[in-house]
Amino acid sequence: MDLELLFINFPYFVAIILFSMGTLIVLTQTNLIKKVIGINILQSAIFLFFITVGNIEGGVPPIYDPQFPDVLYINPLPSCLMLTGIVVSFSVTAFALALIVKLYLFYGTICTPNFMKLK
Amino acid sequence: MESVLKLPFLCIIGTLVTAFCMPVLARWKKDFCAPVATFAVGSVFITTIVIAYNVMHGGVIRYAVSGWAPPWGIEIVVDSLSSMMIMLLSGICFLILIYSFSAIKHELERKVVGWYYTAFLLTLAGMMGLVVSNDIFNFYVFIEVTGLGACSLVAAKGTRQATEAALKYLLLATIGSGFILFGIGFLYMITGHLNLTFIAQELVLVKDSYPFLIWTALSFFTVGFGVKSALFPLHLWLPDAHSSAPSPSSAVLSSLVVKVYIIAFLKILLIAFGLEIFHETFIRHLILVLSIIAMLAGSFFAFVQIELKRRLAYSTVAQVGYVFLGIGLGTPWGLAAGLLHIVVHAFMKTCLFLTAGAVYYQTGIKKVNQFSNMGYKMPITMGAFTIAAFSMVGIPLFGGFISKYGLALGSLEADLPLIILVIIVSGLLNATYYFPIIGQAYFSQGDNEHENSHQDNNHGDSHVDNKFQIDQVPLSMLVPIVILALGIIYLGIFPGTILEFINKTVTALL
Repeated sequence: MDLELLFINFPYFVAIILFSMGTLIVLTQTNLIKKVIGINILQSAIFLFFITVGNIEGGVPPIYDPQFPDVLYINPLPSCLMLTGIVVSFSVTAFALALIVKLYLFYGTICTPNFMKLK
Repeated sequence: MESVLKLPFLCIIGTLVTAFCMPVLARWKKDFCAPVATFAVGSVFITTIVIAYNVMHGGVIRYAVSGWAPPWGIEIVVDSLSSMMIMLLSGICFLILIYSFSAIKHELERKVVGWYYTAFLLTLAGMMGLVVSNDIFNFYVFIEVTGLGACSLVAAKGTRQATEAALKYLLLATIGSGFILFGIGFLYMITGHLNLTFIAQELVLVKDSYPFLIWTALSFFTVGFGVKSALFPLHLWLPDAHSSAPSPSSAVLSSLVVKVYIIAFLKILLIAFGLEIFHETFIRHLILVLSIIAMLAGSFFAFVQIELKRRLAYSTVAQVGYVFLGIGLGTPWGLAAGLLHIVVHAFMKTCLFLTAGAVYYQTGIKKVNQFSNMGYKMPITMGAFTIAAFSMVGIPLFGGFISKYGLALGSLEADLPLIILVIIVSGLLNATYYFPIIGQAYFSQGDNEHENSHQDNNHGDSHVDNKFQIDQVPLSMLVPIVILALGIIYLGIFPGTILEFINKTVTALL
């Protein structure tokens, strides 16, 4: 019974695990590029979570077809919200990478412990 | 009345459009950027006064953006809290922009000036949107706009420390907004709505079916907004970011940006989840404990800092603790005092950061132990600094006293009289790190004179140095500082106008 529940909610578990992984990577890695990758993993986990919330078992994409007026549609709203989320994620990544390039020009390295030595 | 409905929306759109015009304008004529931005924010400020008048006399403004009715479309709701906040945001930003006229030329490279104003106006638009919106996904979008704008305000200085601090701020702020987005996802999953009013209606019906999911959503929101608004153990990004930014940016970041997240958190906590859940779950106790630690530890950390702006930044951590304490108490007086502290602290911290910038402008001094004689070199600036510092400590007749008194009343209402002791200790700690600066500035000239005469044996020269003189900073920097200092005294003696807004909010929320 419990195992079955776990199987039904499988995508939620994956989302939570990915989210924790992303957070851990951002907080513990010393390489700045890896930190940005961690941010991206974290945000992908959220996208997965939202899309899972909107999904309905056996549903079809919500495009109205006059031939089958009674089919079950999935909820399109969370997917639409995630389009905004992807744009935000993209701009955060771009901004972070720009700052990293600038730091590389200052220090010649992208590893945070080396910053302390070079100061 | 019909036209008033559109005004809050127009304020945000107007600020956004001006923001995107700035780089183009900078390409054509660099010197036009500052007046145009100041004019835009000034007209927004006047509009917000009209909105506030209408809200106080006519009731809440509800506007459905582009004609879509609330459950489907985005709704803008301006109640007394939002109208007070947009007035505060645009007013303080207006003063800071006047100050920036000459300060920016001094602190930034010439080629980034246009972009600086873009970032500034984007941050303002994001903050105003966050305060007036009634749609939680819109909250997320505006949180990100504010966050990215604030990061670029820090990075604008272009130095090593500023870039490093901006990256740290960006990474931690993104984790914070990730947590908030996850919380929004949980709320959507429970209720199927994104509008705060509809979430509140739905949550009352279904809250017994999903007890754990509500706990999870609340914890995600607490962590996310805690990172964003620098609640004590999550404040790690704040001191670096606020101290390495140019002084006008530090003023915006410290006095406004941190606060709008608290307002958003308060809205989600009290409107969406409602009082019942707020009291049932232990989130209230968590906030109380963290805010008490923040009030004491923030002051301790501030005490050991040598650099003035870093000291002010750690002081912000302590003051955020005061605001959260007001929310955590959850009583009418506590909440009112917390909201009043948002207003008062915006005035005080802006004044302190702007005076720090003015001191740096005239003398190049950044450390707190070099302030001897400053009271004679820059009497107006140091006078404003003294007023703001007195208010920070909580001396009667200044704004800070009223909010601390309100917090004390609130803790009596909540049956936690020991918190008064914490407020007093924190106030005394504030005194220990502000009074030495003031004392040095006015009373320690002998020390410096002695050193000077020792070094170059020229008594006449050092005597000229100690002569009383008026500040050597431009008028555009002095005027905002003086207005802010007068505002602090006004809030201390006549807090009635602001309290009217806050009382209306508190009766609506509690």
